[in-house]
Amino acid sequence: MSQSTSNQDRFENLRLELRRGCLSLAVLSQLKTERYGYTLRKALNEQGMEIDEGTLYPLLRRLESHGLLTSEWREEEKRNKRFYRLSSEGKQVLKQLAAEWQSINTSLNGIL
Amino acid sequence: MELVDRYLQAVKFFLPKKQQADIVAELSEDLHSQIEAKQAELGRTLTDSELEAILKRCGSPWEVASRFLPQRYLIGPTLFPAYRFFLGILLLGCVVPRFRIWIGFLIFDPADRGYLNMGNMLATIVFCSFFTTLVFAIVERTGIKVKLLDCWNPRKLPPVKDPNRIPRGNSLVEIGALVVFFTFFCQVLWPGPVIDLFGAKIMLAPAWRSFFWAYTVLAMCSLALSGVNLFRPYWTTSRAFWRLLLDVAGGAMFCWLLKAQLLLGISAPNLSEAKAAELTTLVTLIMAKALPWAVVILVAIFLMSSYRLFRVWSRDRRRTPIMPPVNGVTTSIATGS
Repeated sequence: MSQSTSNQDRFENLRLELRRGCLSLAVLSQLKTERYGYTLRKALNEQGMEIDEGTLYPLLRRLESHGLLTSEWREEEKRNKRFYRLSSEGKQVLKQLAAEWQSINTSLNGIL
Repeated sequence: MELVDRYLQAVKFFLPKKQQADIVAELSEDLHSQIEAKQAELGRTLTDSELEAILKRCGSPWEVASRFLPQRYLIGPTLFPAYRFFLGILLLGCVVPRFRIWIGFLIFDPADRGYLNMGNMLATIVFCSFFTTLVFAIVERTGIKVKLLDCWNPRKLPPVKDPNRIPRGNSLVEIGALVVFFTFFCQVLWPGPVIDLFGAKIMLAPAWRSFFWAYTVLAMCSLALSGVNLFRPYWTTSRAFWRLLLDVAGGAMFCWLLKAQLLLGISAPNLSEAKAAELTTLVTLIMAKALPWAVVILVAIFLMSSYRLFRVWSRDRRRTPIMPPVNGVTTSIATGS
């Protein structure tokens, strides 16, 4: 019982580690069009890339502080929302990351 | 919505002041969007327990706030192995010798154990830990770390260690020291009623004769062992066992010498009888007082030699695969590697 629990934990840790690296790419790709946090999370969830708010918002801040995103507070449906979109630098980085992802994917498909 | 406000207030408490308003506004917006979506799905307002479930899923306020904070540590993962190594060495250096000497006093000279102040040991440990941590924290936060990490050369790395190899230099030094000391021992301390030591006459008890010959046998055995080690410079179980035996026997003999009070008297041309008697008492007293220290050293030598014997024995055991029993008889094959 405890053996299978520890295997499950190990798998969960490795799974999270694997997904963590892909999240930045997924978030950047979704911000080609302007979105605010909740809709961005919904869009990612709908495409099978589940992400909770505790992970998404710090990630958005990090990407913005690196200059890959721009944001602005605006009122919509009577509530203030922070809208994010890719910066010009972000667009470039997204292109490079997407190419890198394709290359890793091809290599891994070969390996696996 | 009171629960949401209380939750956001708790998150805000753990956030840095400058970012509080911004982060809380964004989290608040997300939570309200989630609640609205859920209400639209159910067609009614949410109960407190449903709100609670949403907040629980978001995580504890501390956990949520901590994700917005930069990762903080005193000593980072790069320096941590070195920090642990230095701290361990320092603490062992502070604690182990004192503790061994304290045990020596406790066993052999309990009346004098007060000479060793064990009270400040805790303070020493705290000081050592504090200053080691401080130095490493400074290195972590300054450019010294980068310089230290850059400053290395593969050619300067220590050679691969083989703990079972006996350096030939060590064997040569052992042989040289034994020959020199044994020559001196035989020439000057040859057992007789009176020993002439650089002009001074030393009277020793008859038991000196036994010590002398026992020591001579021991020195010869040690010399032979060092000679074999010189030409076959790898420890084997039998040689490690002999080393242990000789070390323990030599140490035990030395401890006996300190305890036996073999010195009966000293005389020298310019030494009055009273002074000579005083000197004899003093030497006997110093030898008696040195006994606990000698025992401590003997124990340390015994532990080191025992560890070597165990290491070599374990290595040899690993190299000898046990064959499955044939007709109830288990056989082992020495690979000789």
